[in-house]
Amino acid sequence: MAFYKFPKPVDVHIGMVVDPTDKTLPKGDSVGNNQYTRYLKDKYNINIIVDWTAATGNDFKQKVSLSIASGNLPDGMVVDDRSFMTKAASSGLLYDITDLFQQYQSQQVKDIMASTQGRAMENASYKGRMVSLPNITVDTDGVHVMWVRKDWLDKLNLPVPKTLSDIEKTAKAFIDNKMGGANTIGIAGPSKNTFPYATFLVSSNNMGGFDPVFGAMDAYPGYWLDNGDGTVTYGTTTENTKKTLALLADWYKKGLIDPEVGTRDNVGDPINANQAGIFFGPWWNGGYGNGDSFKNDKTANWQAYPVYDDQGKWNVHMKTTGSTYTVISKKAKEDVVKAILIMNNALVRDEATFDLSVAVGWYPLRNVMAAANETEYEYTELLKVLNGQTKPEDYNKPNSLYKLMYADAKKVQNVIKPPYDNLNVSNFDMTNFGDFQRMYSLMIGDRPYSTIPIDKKVYSVTYNQTPTMETKWANLKKLEDETVLKIILGQSSIDAFDQFVKDWKSQGGDEITKEVAELLKK
Amino acid sequence: MKRLGGVQKHYYLMLLPGMVWLVMFSIVPMFGIIMAFQNYNPGQGLLRSEWVGLENFKYMFQLNDSIPVLINTFIIAVGKIVFNLLVPLIFAILLNELRSMRYKKWVQTVVYLPHFLSWVIMATIVIGIFGYYGVANTVVKAFGGHPQLFMADAGIFRQIVIGTDVWKEFGYNAIIFLAALTGVNLNLYEAAAIDGANRWRLIWHVTLPALSTTVVLLGVLSLGNVLNAGFDQVYNLYNPLVYSTGDILDTWVYRLGLQNLQFSLATAAGLFKSVISFVLIYVSYRLAYRFADYTVF
Repeated sequence: MAFYKFPKPVDVHIGMVVDPTDKTLPKGDSVGNNQYTRYLKDKYNINIIVDWTAATGNDFKQKVSLSIASGNLPDGMVVDDRSFMTKAASSGLLYDITDLFQQYQSQQVKDIMASTQGRAMENASYKGRMVSLPNITVDTDGVHVMWVRKDWLDKLNLPVPKTLSDIEKTAKAFIDNKMGGANTIGIAGPSKNTFPYATFLVSSNNMGGFDPVFGAMDAYPGYWLDNGDGTVTYGTTTENTKKTLALLADWYKKGLIDPEVGTRDNVGDPINANQAGIFFGPWWNGGYGNGDSFKNDKTANWQAYPVYDDQGKWNVHMKTTGSTYTVISKKAKEDVVKAILIMNNALVRDEATFDLSVAVGWYPLRNVMAAANETEYEYTELLKVLNGQTKPEDYNKPNSLYKLMYADAKKVQNVIKPPYDNLNVSNFDMTNFGDFQRMYSLMIGDRPYSTIPIDKKVYSVTYNQTPTMETKWANLKKLEDETVLKIILGQSSIDAFDQFVKDWKSQGGDEITKEVAELLKK
Repeated sequence: MKRLGGVQKHYYLMLLPGMVWLVMFSIVPMFGIIMAFQNYNPGQGLLRSEWVGLENFKYMFQLNDSIPVLINTFIIAVGKIVFNLLVPLIFAILLNELRSMRYKKWVQTVVYLPHFLSWVIMATIVIGIFGYYGVANTVVKAFGGHPQLFMADAGIFRQIVIGTDVWKEFGYNAIIFLAALTGVNLNLYEAAAIDGANRWRLIWHVTLPALSTTVVLLGVLSLGNVLNAGFDQVYNLYNPLVYSTGDILDTWVYRLGLQNLQFSLATAAGLFKSVISFVLIYVSYRLAYRFADYTVF
């Protein structure tokens, strides 16, 4: 059932996000006719009809928002914000796929869903009914580590910074010695489109955010914290957050943080130009996120480490299971719904076998499903392959939970050169840059999470909006963003924080806090 | 020429595409205004959504943002109207005084190029110029000042918005003045010159009066846009640090409506904007008639 070929062609209308910078589609192919749509046509008799496309980012959000507002959804689209899914669901626009999903999911999808202990199912549901296919990303996307230029440390004969005061010294040394030229930036920070820290609504993949700095101060801004006595606190309003902001403001004043933080177009700019020595981000940020940095300087030895608090503990905020959702229109015919479920099964099973010289983003309704611990598993197993303990063939298990493992095992020895005990950028071959990026991210970026136990994992009480948030959150978030950035940049003194907490509470924060506390009782 | 009941038929034919466009994109969407008085539910549509009367408007004014946003919109829009009228006017007059035709064409081409760039691209350039390591700060440093982060300074954000908009558009806006200038009877200049007028006098007594109707016309027409402070531009330039002076109605409505899915509230804010715009157009039109004896119809 999970890989059923329809006897008659089934038309699936989709709305699709496209990456305008992607140039991998061969000449003559299009968004509605490429290797992936032809694969679906040949193998399953599924006809993809693209109703509309929009560029990644705000263009796409706008298009999704408008198609929900008009009540006119294509059969399927992937939305990248849970509030889009819940809005569409509460408006009665979505297909209840609860039963069909149970019938049609493949074993692999079932295993991946199970690897989240039910959190993925809950995430994809509205009022107990499954109304979307969730994406499931690796837990590591939420664990932000420190990326630092090890080659600069070595040149200056400095140790790897462990605590916040070490980071301060290191950043200062980078700047004083002009390691990245006259305009050396000690610590790169968020741009105008990213965030000072991940929040419960956007809890992962926050490149350039200061998340590890907050973690090292035992602060979890943007998260709803369970106080353990039936009450909750919004992490931004805590004393520890205030202390961290004071520290960041101090760093900014001392010139250790990118002076253009918060206004820059793209956080990657100074990093890729090899002007910055330290930045924070998840496992894939070194490799994929700063790819041009390696192109510009093949010796840029970016290494990833945890940031510890003064007691030597590593505190981390954890993310939700995933944040994109394949939604299916209520008006879709049953066959179309089945087709979309099969498309998802096929992607999960065959992704590793596709010719990835055409970006897999062109796969219609692509929604990532990966086991929660995929990167740690791959890190451990790839190291075994390198050390000769296992062979790539050992991973040739069709329908494995770790769908990319076999393909990666076959590649790893071409990309990584010995010695394997302490990998540096010089161990990597960049000939196939795509393979390099993946291996670098896995073996360097995921090394901290795979090898060092985390002392404190903090989850948000909720990763979703409560009813009052639907009307009041925009205002509160604006207040928060404004205050936090102004304090960091020194435009407001740290005293503005207390006023913010007061305003935040009176303008709806208290009301929302009660609603979140209610969620604890479930 | 064929006539139909004394009317030239082809004129109506030429009018048709414009009328179709107007009906499709300006009149039909008017029904969407109903959303402002509902708790709109996309699944139930415009006709069956719950009716809430003026609830959305009341809530809008309870939000702390509504008044500052309105003020920002007004200041930025008026600033743009004034300077987008004055700068091109002065520029056109100066250009008109140039003798070398080739140089004149060259200048004109160079200054109207930015008009064809979208704000997405222009914003990158502007942020580059006013960034910490940008051109502006190079100048500041050359004069011994400390580098500033201009784009994060709420105190000058409006000036930057108005200034860069004028920079982008003045060359293009000057075209209409230059066109008006070609219509000036050259005999008037000759006659005035014979009467002993110098260059400044010629501009004052011949050029400016010839342009006055155009100025009034453009001024009145732009009043219809008085609350359009320029979504594309502000959206691409602003950041949380300048919300206090830079957030305008359109960006606010965008954040409410499209990012937070509060469709009804956003519609209410949009409708509110339209009502004010309507009043302003009406008043300015009356004023234009009173003081410049000018009517469109």
